[in-house]
Amino acid sequence: SSGINAEWPLRPGFQVEYAIKAVENSGSVIALRGKDGVVFGVEKIITSKLYEEGSNRRVHSIDTHIGAAVAGLLSDARAVVNRARDDAADYRSTYQVPIPLKSLTERLGKYIHHFTVYGSLRPFGVSVLLGTWDETNGAKLMEIDPSGTVRGYYGCAVGKGKQNAKTELEKINISNMTCRELIKEVAKVIYSVHDEVKDKHFELELSWIGKETRGTHELVPQALYDEAKKFAEDSLVDSDDDDTDM
Amino acid sequence: AVVSTQSGLTSIGVRGKDSACVITQRKIPDKLVDEETVSHIYRVTKHSGCVMTGMIADSDMQVSRARYEAADYKYHYGYEMPPDMISKRLADIGQSYTQIAHMRPLGCCLIMIGWDEEKGAQLYRVDPAGFFCGFRACSAGTKQTESNNYLEKKIKKNSMMNETEVIQTAIAALSSVLAADFKPSEIEIAVVSDRNPVFRKLTEAETDEQLNILAERD
Repeated sequence: SSGINAEWPLRPGFQVEYAIKAVENSGSVIALRGKDGVVFGVEKIITSKLYEEGSNRRVHSIDTHIGAAVAGLLSDARAVVNRARDDAADYRSTYQVPIPLKSLTERLGKYIHHFTVYGSLRPFGVSVLLGTWDETNGAKLMEIDPSGTVRGYYGCAVGKGKQNAKTELEKINISNMTCRELIKEVAKVIYSVHDEVKDKHFELELSWIGKETRGTHELVPQALYDEAKKFAEDSLVDSDDDDTDM
Repeated sequence: AVVSTQSGLTSIGVRGKDSACVITQRKIPDKLVDEETVSHIYRVTKHSGCVMTGMIADSDMQVSRARYEAADYKYHYGYEMPPDMISKRLADIGQSYTQIAHMRPLGCCLIMIGWDEEKGAQLYRVDPAGFFCGFRACSAGTKQTESNNYLEKKIKKNSMMNETEVIQTAIAALSSVLAADFKPSEIEIAVVSDRNPVFRKLTEAETDEQLNILAERD
């Protein structure tokens, strides 16, 4: 077969392995599903001091009631997020209610999977973490990876610091903590898995959706953000002290 | 494509005189995963369903297609699509993927059980090459060769099993091949039978009961 994808064997999972690598090289993204909502945290690695703070957002809102955090190729991420927004808008227009997370993840999962099946398309190099909260059903957190596989989580980490982050996350009693408490935990884990040597500068992006935001996905308010950042920086210092004691 | 169905899991299907069941492992990768979302057993119509082994995303696509085909059939012909027809349709679709240049075969194997009025309980297996066949017992996944050997011996002894024996044989086969004693949350079982033709997954309590029966028998 000829064309741009001629050199890729059409073996299931082959191209997807490379797409997954793209995600693994991206800055860490962590999401936690607590008692009363979902918290997202992103390690936004800054490659140049010339970048404006707050640009190149990694957390997006799908409709008002779903938060999406992305890792991987950011241009692919934009395509996926736009698709999710279209799906959500369509659903609302047809059924007159906001799209349930399950429906959105099913559709988005199949959409992303679709790009892994045809030789003329390439898979998205993106993992999306989607979270929601409402009064009736509580909090829900789902992850879609480049193969289109949809999984549900209490705590999820993708990107560079994934392995270390997962180890840290298992220590936290996630489902019994509130969003307010989890914001600090997310920041702490991101700071702890951040590699100071390889990626000097990073911006921490935090967003949440839950009871405190009345079911709307928002960036964490400045006061809480500062508190969480301080908590994270302090805990890093504490562990450094422990190291020097040895 | 056959190689890629080695997802690390094994699934087994068994058919008896008037019932059929499928069983699969349920491995929850880590504590952070929401267990409620982990399942490889899917309902396709009221009286049929399947267990998927292999790549999860490909499995979801096949199940979606199966559900669509079944719904379309019901719309056109006025009656529920029988399991043999569903399997045949999925097999034909799978075969076309192996022949059409710009598509790839799906990396998943489907074991379907169903019940219809004419043939009673049935068991089919559809693989990525588009080959499908009705079985008395079959398996898919990592330990499929060992499972098939075990099942051949059991079926030879008794090919007219009742519902409990069918479930027991399936559990025993999986246990023996994986050299493991299962907790109810580590396996998933689905059944159809003349007694209860609706495709249903056993609850954790029912699975526990079956495991206990097996343990006592040994």
